Amino acid sequence: MDFDLATYYPIFIYLLFILAFAGGAMVAAHIIGPHRRTAVKLMPYESGMDPIGDARHRFDVKFYLTAILFLVFDVELLFLYPWAVVAYRQEPLLPAELRRIVFWEILAFVISLFVAYIYAWRKGVFRWR
Amino acid sequence: MDRSLLITILTIVGFMAVSQGIIAYLILLERKIAAWVQDRIGPNRVGPLGLLQPIADGLKFLFKEEVFPTNVDRLLFVLAPSIAMITALLAAAVVPFGPTSVPPSTEYQFVIAPGTDIGILFTFAVGSLAVYGIILGGWASNNKYSFLGALRSSAQLISYEIPMGLSVVGVVLYAGSLNLERIVQQQVEGGWNVVFQPLAFLLFLTAVFAECNRLPFDLPEAEQELVGGYHTEYSAMKFALFFLGEYMHMITTSLMLTVVFWGGWYFPGISTPTSHVAVKFIVFIAKVVAFIVFYMLIRWTIPRFRFDQLMSMAWKVLIPLAIANLVCVMVVREFELSHWLLPPLSIALIVGAGVVSFRWPAAPQRRMPASLEPVAR
Repeated sequence: MDFDLATYYPIFIYLLFILAFAGGAMVAAHIIGPHRRTAVKLMPYESGMDPIGDARHRFDVKFYLTAILFLVFDVELLFLYPWAVVAYRQEPLLPAELRRIVFWEILAFVISLFVAYIYAWRKGVFRWR
Repeated sequence: MDRSLLITILTIVGFMAVSQGIIAYLILLERKIAAWVQDRIGPNRVGPLGLLQPIADGLKFLFKEEVFPTNVDRLLFVLAPSIAMITALLAAAVVPFGPTSVPPSTEYQFVIAPGTDIGILFTFAVGSLAVYGIILGGWASNNKYSFLGALRSSAQLISYEIPMGLSVVGVVLYAGSLNLERIVQQQVEGGWNVVFQPLAFLLFLTAVFAECNRLPFDLPEAEQELVGGYHTEYSAMKFALFFLGEYMHMITTSLMLTVVFWGGWYFPGISTPTSHVAVKFIVFIAKVVAFIVFYMLIRWTIPRFRFDQLMSMAWKVLIPLAIANLVCVMVVREFELSHWLLPPLSIALIVGAGVVSFRWPAAPQRRMPASLEPVAR
């Protein structure tokens, strides 16, 4: 249970290796590959049609709603993880008399979230038309 | 310190070399399996049985022309495939790819960062950064297909992340740790999680299929609608990095499925804690390979979903089931009921969900005017 930053150093070394790999592959391909540009080749590919206007248009609000709901649920998930780790360990971190109370609180938390979920459903957030 | 640094670097180099090699041959395997399913022969021209095909493909990625279309955002255009590949590889840092023990063994090391207590959380966190690679790629390309593909893909990835996270909480409740080696250890002592939480396993399996953009969830790159999706404009090595990332993700999730639900290296009667490391390793790899082949067979078995079906699947089926499953596990754990109660509860939830969706379909069939019926199909 003791926190030790030393257990994490392999991850950083690994990250360096990956960065070198990704960068190396890109640079190598850039140097080795041919570069013969033509006007048509540099056009955006839209199945042979000449593109009309810019691609960065407004888009459906549904995607924003999905992102917001995702935030709600993901943050909730983040609260569940520490509890799930601590609650039933072999070497208890949670005082025994608090365990039952915490259980009911988490249950209430999950149920309140479920109520919000049903509200979103009834409001038609999940309807893709 | 010096010796452990050396071992770490050797592990990293070995893992990266082997995983890249495996990915190259997975692509060949996928093409072969596709061919067998469709009663063809598959690639067989380059080398015996087509075994040199991956090398030819790899060289082609290097020697082909890189195209930067005129109005792309050059910085993001280069950054996107790197992010996709880096996150996919980095997510594997804490996932065991062979037998492990608690505390970490000094004789062998089959995980890049042994004894990392944030285990699963790290994999989820880094893995979900992959969505940046996709949305940046789509945005930078300045192509309508790429843009739509990226939007769809990001909506899909974030939607399926919630059931993926929720289904694992039940496992964590039993293991009491996010450390993947500890989760394996708990299964050695208490039995495979898939036996006790089959519903959680099914939810996790479905969610990781969607996270990998594999069929039947490969909407972002539905060829008939969006050409190549977010990587329409990519060529040569930049395309290869997207591809590598995708296959790496598949390997990582197969490892995760094995470690979290199928007991890692543990197989009653064949590989027990007293077995030799080699036996454990073979059992572990056999499970992982089984999952990878399963991925590939599913691809040629189930047709692609429609986008609205995909989103209702995540939000109306998987999430409520995952919450119900979590509450069941919580109650069983809190009141110290027998964990043999969990499998029947899981089955009851699946059957219940089936009955509910059969009696009250979530999306009622749209009625079309009779005159339009034959045309609309």
